[in-house]
Amino acid sequence: MSIFGEIIGTIRRVSPLPLLTFLAVTGALLLFPPLVDSPYALHIMILIFLSVIMGESWNILGGYTGQYSVGHAAYFGAGAYTTMILMQFREVPPWYGMLAGIAVSILTALIIGSICFRLRGPYFVLASIAATEILRLTALNLKDFTNGAEGILATDIPPLQFGSFLVTDFTTKDPFYYIGLVFALAVIAVTWIVQHSKIGYCFQAIREDQDAAHSLGINPSLYKNLSLAISAAFTSLAGSFYAVYIGFVDPTTVLSLDMSVQIVLICIIGGIGTIFGPVVGALVLVPLSEALRSNIITQGLITAGLVNEDSPVGQFLKENLAHAHVLIYGILVVVVILFMPDGVLGFLRKILTGKRRKAA
Amino acid sequence: MDSSSLQPLLLFVQSLISGILVGGVYALIGIGLTIIFGVMRIINFAHGDIMMIGMYLTFNLFTLAGVDPFVSIAVCIPVMFLFGGLLQKLFINRILNALPQNQILLTIGLGLIMSNTMMLIYTSDYKILTTDYSSSSFSLMGISISQPLAISFIITAVITAVLYWFLMKTDMGQAIRATAQDRQAAQLMGINVKRMSIIAFGLGAALAGTAGALISPTYYIFPQIGSTFTLKAFVITVLGGMGSVIGATLGGILIGIAESLGAVYISSGWKEVLVYVIFLLVLLFKPSGLLGKSRM
Repeated sequence: MSIFGEIIGTIRRVSPLPLLTFLAVTGALLLFPPLVDSPYALHIMILIFLSVIMGESWNILGGYTGQYSVGHAAYFGAGAYTTMILMQFREVPPWYGMLAGIAVSILTALIIGSICFRLRGPYFVLASIAATEILRLTALNLKDFTNGAEGILATDIPPLQFGSFLVTDFTTKDPFYYIGLVFALAVIAVTWIVQHSKIGYCFQAIREDQDAAHSLGINPSLYKNLSLAISAAFTSLAGSFYAVYIGFVDPTTVLSLDMSVQIVLICIIGGIGTIFGPVVGALVLVPLSEALRSNIITQGLITAGLVNEDSPVGQFLKENLAHAHVLIYGILVVVVILFMPDGVLGFLRKILTGKRRKAA
Repeated sequence: MDSSSLQPLLLFVQSLISGILVGGVYALIGIGLTIIFGVMRIINFAHGDIMMIGMYLTFNLFTLAGVDPFVSIAVCIPVMFLFGGLLQKLFINRILNALPQNQILLTIGLGLIMSNTMMLIYTSDYKILTTDYSSSSFSLMGISISQPLAISFIITAVITAVLYWFLMKTDMGQAIRATAQDRQAAQLMGINVKRMSIIAFGLGAALAGTAGALISPTYYIFPQIGSTFTLKAFVITVLGGMGSVIGATLGGILIGIAESLGAVYISSGWKEVLVYVIFLLVLLFKPSGLLGKSRM
């Protein structure tokens, strides 16, 4: 059976209501930039798309195949660095850089996978971290190639044009918004296919019980590597997108353990192993973290009269809270693991079904 | 010091000794992690952040009260023990039977809260704790030895010896080891395993905090220093064998030596790569570690 036949077969099985909702939301998102003429709102939306791509990609390996990699910064960084190096030093348009990044990431994934997939449980987690740290230190040390700790700053992005027709020159946030949206939708679609296809069933069988899956004729190392390759390719896409949008990469942001953790948390907080879990995670995390970063919360506390602006506490919050936007990730993950082990999405579902049961 | 004028052998011995001295502190961090893992089968990803809190505690005692960093251990041990016990009682205890990945994520989350709270209080600036002996060294048979490193090594050796005695000879130490060997059997023998878990986490945190106090005169103090040491602690415990205290001691000293020799013979930028490569090789070819019995 061909893969395409399988995909078409699974698409036929979609029930119409969720599909219509999905299309309606997509339509609304397409109309968002012309209707809401605010660069800041677009910036937040772009960050949400980026988080969705990161979370969904990790979900394929972590959520559906049960391999908790805490080293996805390796693929994010590989994509970001490949795109950036090609764009800045070789004048290759980011589109090709992005594809090159995916190739580099898949290659990295196969190397890391061949080492780490021999291990299970906590040992796999530790190995994935160590492999990524090796990459980070390599990027830090290969100064001729990566500029070392200084990082690479993009000076200008080549415009996108077909022949002589200029599509966009990337001076506004609109093109980034639409590219981010398309990528996010694509990775959601891939996740959906993974959940409903035969390959995906093999992934899920390995997650549930690797030895049982093996005894049923599923080759665990083949499917684990396949899952990692898909996951790494989309994580790399997120990395390339990030590099071009932010315009700066350095080892301590794109290849750090914090980045790996952030990728995992988007998925864990939303709901692991579900299609829309990472979307919920991104919708919760990005606005909260941005609100802290841009001092909205401090301003809110001050205007609400809870904290006096001139008091030492007010001054302290104003100066420091913006630096601690990662704090919210820590607090959320502790709360989620202790009180909602199925993530925010699972928690909401439980409340809804509980209510339904009460009503019935 | 002009290293080119040193004889090759002298240079080797010099870096070997400084590796062992640094390795002593690494061993302390590793022992803490291995005790926690042994008793609760939990890999504590917040271990380096607990160490970082110990560093800030020492820094504050020094700047506010003028307490010498090595004297401040007397405060650090009980405070960090209570802190660790509290962490265990409030958070870790609730997830003892959860999926391993959720346990890992919880400790990652706790670590993020610790490092970001410290960043909120102290900003992410690098702090330096300068004592009058911070950069002084003495010479022994032509080999120069850093004074703070030597003092911290002696203290480490004393603490490790006391810890061995505690684990091997006292009733409570035996109860902790019994819990690590077989939690259920220990419970059947009338050991209060919950109390032992709190004590074990307290001990682990106290050791990490002490290590933080010991390295504060020689390292920069900043909120994000934890993750580097968390990773180092994993390498040490896996190298020695998860759950083995002697293994962690050995692992710490080996990693200290590997870093020190790597810095001299390869380059200081690549020395940490060497550590992680050793780590992956151990995981692949001898996952039980040098002295561990089984994988879990």
